[in-house]
Amino acid sequence: MIDWLHPSFLFLLGAVLVALLPARIRMAAAVLVPLAAFFVIVNLPLGNGLQYQLFGFDLTLLRVDKLSKAFGYVFTINAFAAGIFALHLKTRVEPVAALTYIGASIGAVFAGDLISLYLFWEVMAIASTFLILARGTERSYQSAFRYVMIHLLGGLMLLAGILLQIKATGSVAFDPFAIRDLPTYLILIGFLVNAAAPPLSAWLSDAYPEATVTGGVVLTAYTTKTAVYTLIRGFAGWEILMVVGCVMALYGIIYAILENDMRRILAYSIINQVGFMVTGVGIGTAMALNGAVAHAFCHIIYKALLWMSAGAVLQLTGKSKCTDLGGLYKTMPLTLIFGCIGALAISSFPGFSGYTSKPMIIEAGVHGGFYWVWLVLELASAGVFLHAGIKFPYFVFFAKDSGMRPGEAPPHMLVAMAFLSFICIFLGVYPQPLYAILPFEVNFHPYTFEHTLNQLQLLMFSALAFFMFLPMLKRTETISIDSDWFYRKGGQLFFTAADKLFNSINAQAEKLVAVELTAQVSRFFKQPGFLIQRQGVRLLAAVSGNRQQAEQMEAWLDARNRSGAYPIGIWVLLAVSILGIMSLLYLLIR
Amino acid sequence: MSSPTNLHLYILAAPLVAAFVLNLLGRLSRRWVMPLTLGPLVFSTAGSLMLLARVLKEGGFSYTVGNWTPPYGIELLVDPLSAMMLVLISGIALTATFSALPWVEREHPGSEHLFFTLYLILIAGLMGLVLTADAFNLYVLLEITSITTYGLIAMGKGRAPLASFNYIIMGSIGACFYLLGIGYLYILTGSLNMADMAAIIKTLPQGPALATAFAFAIVGLWVKMAFFPLHGWLPNAYSLAPTAAGLLFAPLMTKVTIYLMIRVILNVFTPEYVFYSHPLVQSGVVWAAAIAIVCASSLALGQRDLRRMLTYILIAEVGYMVGGFWLANSQGMTGAILHIFNDAVMTLCLFLAAAAIASRTGSLSFDNLKGLYRTMPVTMAAFTVGAFSIIGVPPTCGFFSKWYLLQGAVQAGQWGFLAALLFSSLVNAIMFFRIIELAYFTDDGEAHHGGHHHGDDHHAPVAEAPLPMLAPLVVTAAALLVIGLGTGPIVSAIRLTLPKFL
Amino acid sequence: MSKKSKPAAASVPTTPREFNWLDDPKNIRLVRNVFYAVLVLLVLPDFFMHKHTLFYSVEAWPGFYAVFGFISCVGIILVSKLLGYALKRSENYYD
Repeated sequence: MIDWLHPSFLFLLGAVLVALLPARIRMAAAVLVPLAAFFVIVNLPLGNGLQYQLFGFDLTLLRVDKLSKAFGYVFTINAFAAGIFALHLKTRVEPVAALTYIGASIGAVFAGDLISLYLFWEVMAIASTFLILARGTERSYQSAFRYVMIHLLGGLMLLAGILLQIKATGSVAFDPFAIRDLPTYLILIGFLVNAAAPPLSAWLSDAYPEATVTGGVVLTAYTTKTAVYTLIRGFAGWEILMVVGCVMALYGIIYAILENDMRRILAYSIINQVGFMVTGVGIGTAMALNGAVAHAFCHIIYKALLWMSAGAVLQLTGKSKCTDLGGLYKTMPLTLIFGCIGALAISSFPGFSGYTSKPMIIEAGVHGGFYWVWLVLELASAGVFLHAGIKFPYFVFFAKDSGMRPGEAPPHMLVAMAFLSFICIFLGVYPQPLYAILPFEVNFHPYTFEHTLNQLQLLMFSALAFFMFLPMLKRTETISIDSDWFYRKGGQLFFTAADKLFNSINAQAEKLVAVELTAQVSRFFKQPGFLIQRQGVRLLAAVSGNRQQAEQMEAWLDARNRSGAYPIGIWVLLAVSILGIMSLLYLLIR
Repeated sequence: MSSPTNLHLYILAAPLVAAFVLNLLGRLSRRWVMPLTLGPLVFSTAGSLMLLARVLKEGGFSYTVGNWTPPYGIELLVDPLSAMMLVLISGIALTATFSALPWVEREHPGSEHLFFTLYLILIAGLMGLVLTADAFNLYVLLEITSITTYGLIAMGKGRAPLASFNYIIMGSIGACFYLLGIGYLYILTGSLNMADMAAIIKTLPQGPALATAFAFAIVGLWVKMAFFPLHGWLPNAYSLAPTAAGLLFAPLMTKVTIYLMIRVILNVFTPEYVFYSHPLVQSGVVWAAAIAIVCASSLALGQRDLRRMLTYILIAEVGYMVGGFWLANSQGMTGAILHIFNDAVMTLCLFLAAAAIASRTGSLSFDNLKGLYRTMPVTMAAFTVGAFSIIGVPPTCGFFSKWYLLQGAVQAGQWGFLAALLFSSLVNAIMFFRIIELAYFTDDGEAHHGGHHHGDDHHAPVAEAPLPMLAPLVVTAAALLVIGLGTGPIVSAIRLTLPKFL
Repeated sequence: MSKKSKPAAASVPTTPREFNWLDDPKNIRLVRNVFYAVLVLLVLPDFFMHKHTLFYSVEAWPGFYAVFGFISCVGIILVSKLLGYALKRSENYYD
């Protein structure tokens, strides 16, 4: 019976439990659920299970193979650590949302067909929004709004692609897509939105830093890595992904260097790292895919560690901007050490998990003869050390003295960070357990003397560059505009242009104080008839030049609109006209 | 095929008889109101469930009233679809009544028996509408339901009588159009029985008379179901109506009218004539539905009052169902009929939530919705489930019907309709997340905003909604999930009714 | 204006121990010297080893990766600085 227990259901059940339990026991449940789920996954036999019928198709809820199991393992391990990190939580919304979110991600990873995948995908988007909303600030609401909009948009593209794919192939199977046409490209775009590929990536750097301390730790792992999983599953070997991945890797670095907020730096860092994974998917060979999975595994762990240390700093100081922080090593040494372990891991420093996983992708690129992939990824590796390995710990813990002396992080946070640090070091020194769960056989030996030496040279001289050019990297209290400019500011500008165009002669004094596209649209649709009529009258006045009559008409329109006194006759006229049209159509048109 | 019992008649008769009894006894004492409204509705609900079980097991049947054989007598048709509609109507009426009772007490003290008389007759009329197999009988019942509705709306405050008057005009025009259409058909076929007419129409040449008959009938029904752009009467009528009346109208009236359109097309004019002989018009109507959806959703976006926003969403949903049915393929029709059920329950859930909120805050303008999560958590949770269902988030039922509609659109190649459905989902998401955001996370009721009064009533809600309003709300929200998960059996029952050639 | 959902800074029960080690300029100099020593040590073996090349012979040169790392980082820093002039705005740009 335990054979076909879906780990996702454990999480969803856990979410319900957590909603009902009193505060003390609540977080304990939040820690035990991932533990239980981990053991369930360990025991899952390979193959397909939990099949059900819907919409006339045979759907599979539980498709177990090495690939999905690998992601299942790391998702639950991370959930466990995050649960420990969040033991202090008093609210209900966060743990419930987090458990639902994680459960849906696991469901998506084990889904054996497109429809089940889509169901879980949508639940993920909704549940994760609540983690952002839970922060409770004005900025987090707006950020959450944009977040959920982008994800729903991506979800709709995915849905459209799935529907078209079902129509084209007649099957809902979720396997490598052989044909590259509109449906599969739509599905690809849907996946890439979640993977945070530019230009659809602004949501990540916009929303993740606005989440709560514990919410941020949870968010970093699941949406993007589920997207990586789906890319590995469906789009392995699609060359365009190599380009996308390399762009992501560089994009993340450059923006991370410009950033001031420490969690935004880490958010762009996610884009950078996922770029490596996407490139691996694009290369498509066994070693590349192994590398992508291994990297995803290690990345989840060390990224969570980094977000935990940043989160601890935020929790204890209330600040997250580099210009406000500094000198914290004096009173938070353990947090510093754990943060540095995470930083070294993400930089692929020998001895840490990043070193035994990420270079697999680069080597796969080499074996495939992709010279420029190798070049870009090596460049990016140096850059990772720059923005995440050094910049993050340096500006937060060292640099100038901010004068703040917060105490060490609370014990449960330290335990969580220690746990993850242990894994980072363990897998860096003894990667065999990681290699054992990878989908293909592993032929990779990270610790050759030459390789290690090269990597150390690369990294340490990057460090040299950092310290030499430190003055140029001074933190400023700025933000960098990203692709979300188009829907944040762009909409405003568009409407201003349209307004001026249509009112060029009458020089409107009306200032369009719109902040979002929807506000503008809703303003129009509050009284569309009146606005259209008024516009018509103004145009007429512009053409005929009879200003006074136009003003009178306008006043009359305005009065009529205010009292809502549209004569019912208009509707009757409409009804009779449509009647006439329909009878003519049915008579004449075949 | 005949029926062993007259259960279907009793189901129909119960509210009707109770209406008259209530009117008399209610004048004597107010204590009669509750038992005489809830009692027959409980009976009807139980009875319709039993009827449905029987129909699914043994097949549908028809019943002739008074044993006068058609085409002169009135025939009632009880097949899986009408049995399910019966369950829907009685179930929703019962649930809504729990919340309606306290509202009527609040808004019309002393006139409860008058209100519920009309209310119960309306329910009886709706039930009759889904059962009848006689075209003229349909008109009679349509008018019965309409007149009771006019009366109920007119009992509202403020500009409600004006809204009712506008509704009278449009509603009467719609009903008259339908009547004229049936009149033409009577001239052409000599019969008023639906099955009879269908058989004769098949033999007729497709001339101007038939076209006119169809146009009149369909446009009449479109006016009554508020199919954009013939929707003008609905927002005012439904949002100004007394709260208790709105709870009944919003989920049921438009849906039953859509059911009537489906019956008229399937059982009278036949899909061959309506769809397949006029494919251009058929896709034209789908495009019109797409435009309806887009415009109605956008209009909803501009509203600042919760109930008005919901009425515009209602109009958009009508577009879903009309468009889905006119896709003329199996998926689309299934989706449209499934959506009748799903939408009825979703609408009920949202209107119940709005009523619950209004009972504590006094007004439904968006400013009054701040911070409701803290003070009315259960209400808002149920509202959230309803919102997810309208947006189409699995596993609520709204997702499944939307899926069928999307598949139908893809199958028929109707990309405009597909785009409209997706656009509408997005717009619904925007609207509801705005509200959820307001209610869940804005700090409200800062008592120390000294001297910062908002004019009339900025009541900080002090407690959860009263139990009679809360209980049906929770049940309905749960039903959204249960129905969603149980889509399979519902769809198989629906498929039994669709024409075999699809 | 912004309201955090967790209490901010001040719940420090006792004065935490401070590690002021890096405040001492002597220690900073020590760290810097160790750093330079490490850099030299890393490049030294290159002169004695045979390196494998992947694509170009230049990779076999001693200290290739060191130079590569250094130049890449300088390049990234400069490019970011340049782009920064185009992309940076004040924090309240969107509000």
